[in-house]
Amino acid sequence: MAKFYLGVDIGSLTTKIVLINDAAEIVGRATGRSGYSGKEIAMRLAAGLLENNGLKTSEVVATVATGYGRVTFPADREISEITCQARGIAHLFNRARTVIDIGGQDSKVIKLLPGGKVADFAMNDKCAAGTGRFLEVMAGALEVKVEELGDLAARAGESCPISSICTVFAESEIISHISAGKSKPDIVAGVCDSVAARVTSMTARTGLEQEVVFTGGVARNNGVVNALARHLGCTLSVPPEPEITAALGAALSALGFSKN
Amino acid sequence: MGQQRRYKQLESTAQLKKLITRYYALSRYHRLWGRPLKRPLAWVTSGAPVELLRAFKIHSVYPEQYGALCSTSKATLGLCQEAEAAGYSPDLCSYATSNIGSVLKADIAPMKGLPKPDLVVACNNICGTVLKWYEALARHFQVPLIVIDTPFLTGDMTDHAKEYVLEQFKDLISQMEKLTGRNFNPGELGKISDLSNEAVGLWKEIRGLCRAKPSPLNGPDLFIHMAPIVVLRGTREAADYYRLLKDEVKKRVEREESALEEEKIRLVWDNIAIWSNMFKFFKMFSERGACFVTDTYTGGWSMEIAPGDPLESLAATYTEVFLNRSPEFRAKQIIDLIKEFKADGFVMHSNRSCKPYSLVQEVIRKRVMQETGVPGLVVEADMADPRAFAEEPIRNRVQAFLETLSD
Ligand code: SF4
Repeated sequence: MAKFYLGVDIGSLTTKIVLINDAAEIVGRATGRSGYSGKEIAMRLAAGLLENNGLKTSEVVATVATGYGRVTFPADREISEITCQARGIAHLFNRARTVIDIGGQDSKVIKLLPGGKVADFAMNDKCAAGTGRFLEVMAGALEVKVEELGDLAARAGESCPISSICTVFAESEIISHISAGKSKPDIVAGVCDSVAARVTSMTARTGLEQEVVFTGGVARNNGVVNALARHLGCTLSVPPEPEITAALGAALSALGFSKN
Repeated sequence: MGQQRRYKQLESTAQLKKLITRYYALSRYHRLWGRPLKRPLAWVTSGAPVELLRAFKIHSVYPEQYGALCSTSKATLGLCQEAEAAGYSPDLCSYATSNIGSVLKADIAPMKGLPKPDLVVACNNICGTVLKWYEALARHFQVPLIVIDTPFLTGDMTDHAKEYVLEQFKDLISQMEKLTGRNFNPGELGKISDLSNEAVGLWKEIRGLCRAKPSPLNGPDLFIHMAPIVVLRGTREAADYYRLLKDEVKKRVEREESALEEEKIRLVWDNIAIWSNMFKFFKMFSERGACFVTDTYTGGWSMEIAPGDPLESLAATYTEVFLNRSPEFRAKQIIDLIKEFKADGFVMHSNRSCKPYSLVQEVIRKRVMQETGVPGLVVEADMADPRAFAEEPIRNRVQAFLETLSD
């Protein structure tokens, strides 16, 4: 019987699951809004994933849960997303030394040792500044979709400075930029710069070592990717599916401990 | 992991409770005995030269220690809100705001607040906050304010600094002579300093016993049992208490008894405890077998007064308090603790309240990691104000940190 390993990452905004086989190859992945119960969503996603791949529950030999909702999910183990993220990234980019992850409600910088072990990390999780949630609120104030932010930023002439780190105050700053007649692209560029600046100061704590990999849903936003590369003064690698890397790490951990 | 680990209380705790209850009862009923015995009551900062005040038979109470007590009794939030409503900034040290809150609204404060002082004594060897805080107290109670200014030491102690503090001690003495109607007796000060040293020496020994593997004490033990060294330093009771405690801790070491059920990871703690959630917080570590074998905070009270002229030695001891020293000194302190206690990592509480303690932590953290190769974690909270404690984010960091130490 073939064996499969499931990684479940229940984040504050989205839930991600990844299924891998014995050879550590991804056989399926799924994502959904965490909503009220991330656990329910994760269960539903997992059931759907198995069905699509024609697999039985018994073929999944080990499950690891990570993310904020990790304790709610009936997994074999729960592991913090720092450790899972490190594992997932080391698997995809073996020369990665710094991981910058911007998720829904937190952002973090992880410094890796060769081999993927965590050397140090810094997290910003007390407020929404510099996170996906921050971008959502700002997109809302500008009446654009989050997915449009990247294209808008690319058309900016001069970025409008956003000085507040508080999401609520930053939103009112945007409203004053709008009433001052500033263009949407310029304001969006300012929003991206503000996120990048916030994360850059966090990297100063762990130290920046290349190769730098940018993960999390926000890594899909080119506006932030470019702003961050500019602020850090280096290029960033972005995985093809930047939001699922912690779930991948969780699946790899499941594979790892069931082999031992 | 996951299974609950019980907190193993020391037997001496019963005696500790008696001692502290008696101290607070004496303080509370001071109005009944203080005046007839001509023994004024002072509110003093934790780093004030209490031996000098004791030499004049002044009864000292400690708003900071009381602040910790308010926090463990879950009273801080209401008290801070009271002070904030009166215009004090929520950015101030929560010991200061909660204490001011307890002055403004005694009926919501534990033990209905501290007894009214006859004088207040602030020494800025711990921070600058105490100056304005004690000014506010002096104004409120209309009592004399004594300030002792200890210059910040960027390097080692200097003759100039010592001289400067010594002069202020002399001033303090003449003020106390006037206030109490007693004459200064250097012999009496010598005796009190000896008693201080006795307790401090024992406390140092107790802390040293935690070099044992497994450690007989965990962080919460150190934090709970430090109370007498703070509030009763220089008394016979404090020295007696620490003798009792030392015997018990020594027995634990002889029996190779661990503070935790199983010690797997040894850590050093930096900064004041998170009183508002102390047990909940330390359990995040103990349930994964991580023990805080030593810390920089309770070690602040293990500084002996050097032999020689007691006044001069006191001037040196109180100026050399670690919070009054350079980041280099403090980094070295943690490096030495990690080596001496064979620690696997260290945890820094970035304490929203205490700027002098917390502001330089990131610099110190980097230096310590470089020098020792062991990882350091920063957790953001506040020693007393529960509003700054975000449980899930903290749990998340702690778990990630312990995972890096376990594989
Ligand atoms: S700022 Fe720090 S040293 Fe000063 S009173 Fe507050 S806690 Fe104590």
